[in-house]
Amino acid sequence: MNIMKLMTSAFWRRARWAALATVFAVAASGAVAKEYLLTSLHSNTLVLVDAKARKVEKTYPLPSAPGNTPATVVPSPDGKVAYVLHNRWETVSGIDLDSGKEVFRADLSQKGLRAKSTFAFDVSPDGKEIAIFVLPVKLLSGEYQVQDTYIAVFDTSAGLAAKPIRTFPAPRRTTLMAYSPDGSRLYVMSWDIIVMDPKDGRVIGKHLVRHWKRKNFGEPDTLAVWPLWGASNVYTFPYGAPRTDRKPDAPDAMKSGIYTLDLATDKSSYKEFENSSVVLFSAAINPVRRKEAYSVYTTLSKIDINKGKLLKRLDLEQTYYVVQVSKDGKELYLGGAGSTIAIYDTATLKRLGTIQLPGGADQATATMRYFTR
Amino acid sequence: MSKGYTGSRFWRFALPLMAGLISFWTPPLQAAEKLTGKDLVNEHCADCHKAVDGGGLGRISEARRTPEGWDMTVARMTLIHGTKLTSAERQAIVKYLADTMGLAPEEAQPWRYALDHNPEAADFLENKLVGETCARCHSYARIALQRRTQEDWLRLSHFHVGQFTTVELQNNLRSVNWWEIASKEIPKLLVKHYPLNSEAWTKWQQQPKMNPAGSWRIAGHRPGWGDYEGTLTVTEKQADEYALNLELRYAGGKTQKGSGNAIVYTGYEWRGTVMQGDEAVQQVFTLSDGGNRMQGRWFIKDTDALGGELRGAKVGGKAEILAVTPGFVKAGEKQQITISGVGLNGDVSIDGGVSVSRVVSSSPDKIVVEVQTSAASTKGLHAVQVGTTAAKNALNVYQQIDSVRVLPDPGLSRVGASGGKIPLVPIQFEAVAYSTGEDGKPGTKDDVRIGVVPAQWSLDNLNASAAAMKDLRFAGTIDAASGLFTPGAAGPNKQRKFGTNNFGELKAIATVEDGKRKVKGSAPFIVTAQRWNDPPIR
Repeated sequence: MNIMKLMTSAFWRRARWAALATVFAVAASGAVAKEYLLTSLHSNTLVLVDAKARKVEKTYPLPSAPGNTPATVVPSPDGKVAYVLHNRWETVSGIDLDSGKEVFRADLSQKGLRAKSTFAFDVSPDGKEIAIFVLPVKLLSGEYQVQDTYIAVFDTSAGLAAKPIRTFPAPRRTTLMAYSPDGSRLYVMSWDIIVMDPKDGRVIGKHLVRHWKRKNFGEPDTLAVWPLWGASNVYTFPYGAPRTDRKPDAPDAMKSGIYTLDLATDKSSYKEFENSSVVLFSAAINPVRRKEAYSVYTTLSKIDINKGKLLKRLDLEQTYYVVQVSKDGKELYLGGAGSTIAIYDTATLKRLGTIQLPGGADQATATMRYFTR
Repeated sequence: MSKGYTGSRFWRFALPLMAGLISFWTPPLQAAEKLTGKDLVNEHCADCHKAVDGGGLGRISEARRTPEGWDMTVARMTLIHGTKLTSAERQAIVKYLADTMGLAPEEAQPWRYALDHNPEAADFLENKLVGETCARCHSYARIALQRRTQEDWLRLSHFHVGQFTTVELQNNLRSVNWWEIASKEIPKLLVKHYPLNSEAWTKWQQQPKMNPAGSWRIAGHRPGWGDYEGTLTVTEKQADEYALNLELRYAGGKTQKGSGNAIVYTGYEWRGTVMQGDEAVQQVFTLSDGGNRMQGRWFIKDTDALGGELRGAKVGGKAEILAVTPGFVKAGEKQQITISGVGLNGDVSIDGGVSVSRVVSSSPDKIVVEVQTSAASTKGLHAVQVGTTAAKNALNVYQQIDSVRVLPDPGLSRVGASGGKIPLVPIQFEAVAYSTGEDGKPGTKDDVRIGVVPAQWSLDNLNASAAAMKDLRFAGTIDAASGLFTPGAAGPNKQRKFGTNNFGELKAIATVEDGKRKVKGSAPFIVTAQRWNDPPIR
């Protein structure tokens, strides 16, 4: 028996045990659910990490040519399948985390049409549908022709040649999508956050970002490409907003803030917390102490979003693009960019551990997602 | 149906190989093999580029470009669209396209810095909205060195989204409705500024062909090495292709001899490759004046930040002064100056109370004289005259150095090398001395340029954040005598805060001695990331 088979069977034994344990214990407490991190590497590899054991549990080669940096990763609501945008952003594949097999595949491009997704897709809370933002370009003889962008909805049980079961128009520049926990709303992050009915794409609401109307503030800038709401169900991202009542070289000419959108209640809020002084790439909310946000790049910041106050900041030894918070609100997981995951205590911002990803390959723009199962 | 091995493509590749094998019994097959650029375009491009009304192939006949511009297009066809070309075929296609669909000299003139990679040039944004929409990711020059129909400018916008998926997400582009602007407003602006048909191009095509073959006098300046003068011999190999021999004699005593080849595109775009001393050099020059003048910049292959300006005049053409070196003398002092040119004949005279005290040597291409100035000599720029040939503003008589400007300002360096594939990008700084103008204030518009002067070089952090990041320690070093800045190695540096790269924001400081006085000047510069994709026009 080769090593791969040994590993697989060991994984299966653990998985079965975990599944059984869940069945017996779930009524009493959710504590037995195991905490995982899912990320992908530039080497075309999906990685499953045991968050508490601080170790890589399993790696999965992605079914596309090497060198095609995978981007967004979305775990299915039951934690059994990881959906990954890969193949030069032209394919979303579902990888069964137990078998490692590709169980779903939606190729967006067709003959004569190059279609890519710019980071944006999500799986419905019942796990039955997957909505993908598509940027299509016709490849004609001697020229390209840009097409209107749209959202394609697929049936997750459609197998390896999934075709859209419905499509509806979506704004250009969409970089992220999120279902509300009850599945009744689909949030589409473009210049503003458009709220759609996932059944037919009807626009049922809007949260203004670029077009906010605020005295003494210009349009904010943000590039929210990482779906990081995790256990909080609050989609959170940092932004920079210029003051229109200041000279461009004034220290407070640009303010940094945190924008939140509660996916469960459909309430959004934003608040600045400092004069822009460091780069912030992504942010996440503590699911327990819900006024606490964390933001990363070369620094790790802890922010009180109610008061608009920077509580603590520390320098990181390297760049991290992505931050996630454990369900109990106690641990932070920093990933993306390089080949390391760093773990911090949310209360003290003390470093708790480091996980080295296999092969030293970069995560680049991949999303690292926290989930329990 | 597949052409298979009987198709003409196979035979064109196969014939040269077979010719080598069977040449002992058959005459060379070169004549049958030789296809013109036009034939090659029809052969390789017409599958996708369909014939359009009025003749020509779609896209190809709807745009004009520089030789570099066409080469980038042809290269993309081979890299992305599967066109298979030998290097000779690629060359022939680019030559044909640049000759028949090129830019007139005056159309390319404002943006030549993008062709000759002059590190001191700032990008010229002729139209603001085009600059904001397009020149965030590449130079404005890259656009302005093309001419297209409005339809083809629109296709270029379509191409951008098709080829560069994240274009709409880029900083400063994501904040606007980029595709709407790029597809609706930009093509209209571009066809207004840079239309396919122009009077300049029509006229240029009617110009008689220039032949640069002959003996040339050349002169120029290489930052870091100083002024030079020399000779160039151009021998015609075949139409528009030349063999070169040259010699550059630097004022500091160095000499570089070299030989190589050049091709003339579009009737005036001279592109040479020469081994100049031990340096592989590329020449980006223009021919003018019926083939009697050339001008441009040469640079070291793979290190285009290093190189020099060149001016040339053909021997036998009209008399001309190419350079006066050094071009400055301090009032009250005596100094030897070298006048380089062609057809120099007659006495040397300089106006404004500057006398020629001695003729050291004299020939039709070089005159060395000693000039004497007095405290009463007129300060400022003077014409230098040899017989009836004059060079305006060729000699500056100055009182003192009032200020020093450092070039390039701002500078741009890039980390590189250290085992990687991308060479580092150094900066060759120069100190240029100025005297104040009539307003008596240094650093104002009426300052008078004296010339490049020796300096002691040092570095400092540019600002407080650079100091906090210790950029001075990590970002690179400068040679104190020559002003050559060499950036730090590429890749993350564990010794640095955040383990970051050896990027930085610094300033280069020149300390110039003027008698007992010391005058300082500085220029800011950044050390930044490698260019992973470095096309001939950036």
